[in-house]
Amino acid sequence: MADFNVNLRCFESVSIIDVKGYLDAHTAPELENVFNKLLNEKKFRVVVNFNELNYISSAGLGVFMAYIETMRQNNGDIKFSNLKDNVYNIFDLLGFPLLYEFYKDEKEAINKFIEQEKS
Amino acid sequence: MIANNLRATLAKRLENTIIISILLVIYNLIFPIHNSLILFLINEVLVFGVLYFLYHYMNSIVETKKESPLSLILNSGILTALIFFIISVTDALFGKNVQENYHADIFNSLISIAIDFVFIVAVIYIFSTLRTLFFLRQVKDQSLYFNTMIIFFAITFFSDLSQVNLSLDFIHDAFYVVSIVLICLNSLKVSWIAFLSKKQKTYLLIISIVLSILFGINFSLLSENTPAKIFLSNFSSGFVSIYSLIMIYGMIYFGIIFFTTLFHMPTAEAFDRKSEEVSSLMDLTKLITQVFDFKELADTVTSITTKVCNSYAAWLVTKVDEEYELNSVKNIAYVDADRLTKKFLQKEEPLTSVNILDSSLLNQFNSGEVLNYKSIAIAPLKVHGEISGYLFAARRHEVNFDEEDKRSIQAFADYAAVALENAKLIAESIEKERLEKELDVARDIQRRILPNKIPESEQLKITAMFIPAFEVGGDYYDFFELSDDKLGFVVADVSGKGITAAFIMAEIKGIFESLAKLIISPTELLIKINEVLKNSLDRKSFVTAVYGIVDKKNGILNFVRAGHPPVIYCSEGKVERLLPSGLGLGLDYSNGFANSLKEMKINLKNGDIIAFYSDGIPEAKNAEYKDYGYDRFEKIIQKNCNKTLDEISNEIIKDLTLFSKDNTQHDDITLVLFRWYSDKN
Repeated sequence: MADFNVNLRCFESVSIIDVKGYLDAHTAPELENVFNKLLNEKKFRVVVNFNELNYISSAGLGVFMAYIETMRQNNGDIKFSNLKDNVYNIFDLLGFPLLYEFYKDEKEAINKFIEQEKS
Repeated sequence: MIANNLRATLAKRLENTIIISILLVIYNLIFPIHNSLILFLINEVLVFGVLYFLYHYMNSIVETKKESPLSLILNSGILTALIFFIISVTDALFGKNVQENYHADIFNSLISIAIDFVFIVAVIYIFSTLRTLFFLRQVKDQSLYFNTMIIFFAITFFSDLSQVNLSLDFIHDAFYVVSIVLICLNSLKVSWIAFLSKKQKTYLLIISIVLSILFGINFSLLSENTPAKIFLSNFSSGFVSIYSLIMIYGMIYFGIIFFTTLFHMPTAEAFDRKSEEVSSLMDLTKLITQVFDFKELADTVTSITTKVCNSYAAWLVTKVDEEYELNSVKNIAYVDADRLTKKFLQKEEPLTSVNILDSSLLNQFNSGEVLNYKSIAIAPLKVHGEISGYLFAARRHEVNFDEEDKRSIQAFADYAAVALENAKLIAESIEKERLEKELDVARDIQRRILPNKIPESEQLKITAMFIPAFEVGGDYYDFFELSDDKLGFVVADVSGKGITAAFIMAEIKGIFESLAKLIISPTELLIKINEVLKNSLDRKSFVTAVYGIVDKKNGILNFVRAGHPPVIYCSEGKVERLLPSGLGLGLDYSNGFANSLKEMKINLKNGDIIAFYSDGIPEAKNAEYKDYGYDRFEKIIQKNCNKTLDEISNEIIKDLTLFSKDNTQHDDITLVLFRWYSDKN
């Protein structure tokens, strides 16, 4: 099976999750663990960096859907950045960009959070 | 079969014995006094015959009881006492007058014969018992020694010719002495004593000294001129020799047993303990093959540990993700066991051998803190060189665990570790089997859900192809005859896999079937379905779908796409991707979903092909994890657009299989193709 890797970073109040490899039904629980940890620590501002993600399956998409509502209820959000074209197409087909925020670069996503905080 | 054979042999031997005994009785009634050599010899041969057959018969009987040697000994004891009793009674009854003038009248003969037979049976039984004891627990074949002794007994029997010629007496005496020497040698085979428990040894100690003395008395009583001796020697002088030899054998043998047991007494307890260990290990071995339940096995291990280690309490922990999980406790509360485990296993180097916390160490703690335990043994459970957990045994009495305890605990822990690992593996394989069953169920659900008949009309040809993945992928397609002209169709894909996906599929089918005929507009239908799904889909599940209605009269196709891959439309040799906007079902339950849907209408022209499919096609992967993609898909349709639908469908699958041949199929593949003919032909 293809590899999957997840890494968590922080920038000020924003948590950045780097996902890498193949996100599918078998590797999704790893990502869920990270989200659960963030919820426990009450960190609701999340940027997911897809720079090194090669593939996402429907189960992988499900992970974001499961948590984004909770984040939004707590004045946070999950923002998506640095998606490769093929991965973006999968999100796009489903209509994710109509519901969630996508950015070319994680900096933009982080700035968006910081602006929100100031206003 | 074997039991029958044994019974037949027994019966045969008994028969022989009885026949020859009757012969002997008749002979003795006819010739009460054997005063000539011929009469004497015939009598001796008959007596020997009785002894021989009776011995064989007795052997088979006594042999069956060899597992309880003590009861055999007790039986012999009773018979010895009986002999003593008869000798005493005859002495009292007949007294001196028999010694002085023995008359061979019928009364005397009958009494003589009766007493003789009682003696013969008793002596032979005792001898058989001695023989059984001789062979008991012998590792090597010792029959040579015993048979030699029997041969000498036989020679002694026949060499008693004192009646014939007193000067030949020395021959008899010589063989008699040699027999006694052999008896002494054979009496040393008493190793079976070691296997008795302490209680049995104590019992044997008492019974053996009594028996030894009794045999001695019986022997000496018959050396004197008692009435019994006169009865016997008149009956058969050879038997008197055998009688005294066996009495000597009994006396020596039980004398030796007495002393041997006496010397074994101090070690009896240690031996008891060892045999307890061995039997505990055997119990455990049996359990390994019988008990598959991990918890039950763990309970047995702790309970046997208290027995093996002579400890008050025992508990067992296994390593789960670097943490210790308490599996079973015996004579200690869960919380206490947990606390002590954490106390003594904390952050130390893993213990690779048995560790003993003796009283000097435990006394440093508050006695309440260590629950009055004076000594605790911790044994690692090792499987394939890795530590899978620990076994604890705690004593409340003052005796520390010694080296011997350490060894036995380790041996036991090693055994237990294998047993527990075994149980764990079995549990895992059962779980795996359960998952496979679940997969079968999911596949079965899917198979029942998909339509088994594809509708068709003269102008609209349809082909549908479905290839399931190993794990059910959640693809669903269906057709609905809405009216004579209108045909509804859906191609959908449920997120996730396996049985959950299969159940959502079943639900989706139910919703489509009930609503498709009620709501004619595809857009309205999907909006309604999205609302219904709100109550049943969990947050991380969603469904992508294309739903459309085609008019079989005029070829007008209306469809909506909800998050599903684009529809491929091939018209007049040109291929187009139709991608009207639309969110997946279950992503958003507000107006966002309704607002996102854009219905698309197409006027099909003659020969047009339109393809609906699931993402199993564009996302099929090759060995390098490259997607099959839309371009290849469109190209293969374009290339084959003049062939029949079935041929096109086969070409697509062929191309797809070729592309992804080095990778497994991860998702279901669904392909539904429509072709429109404007003219009826």
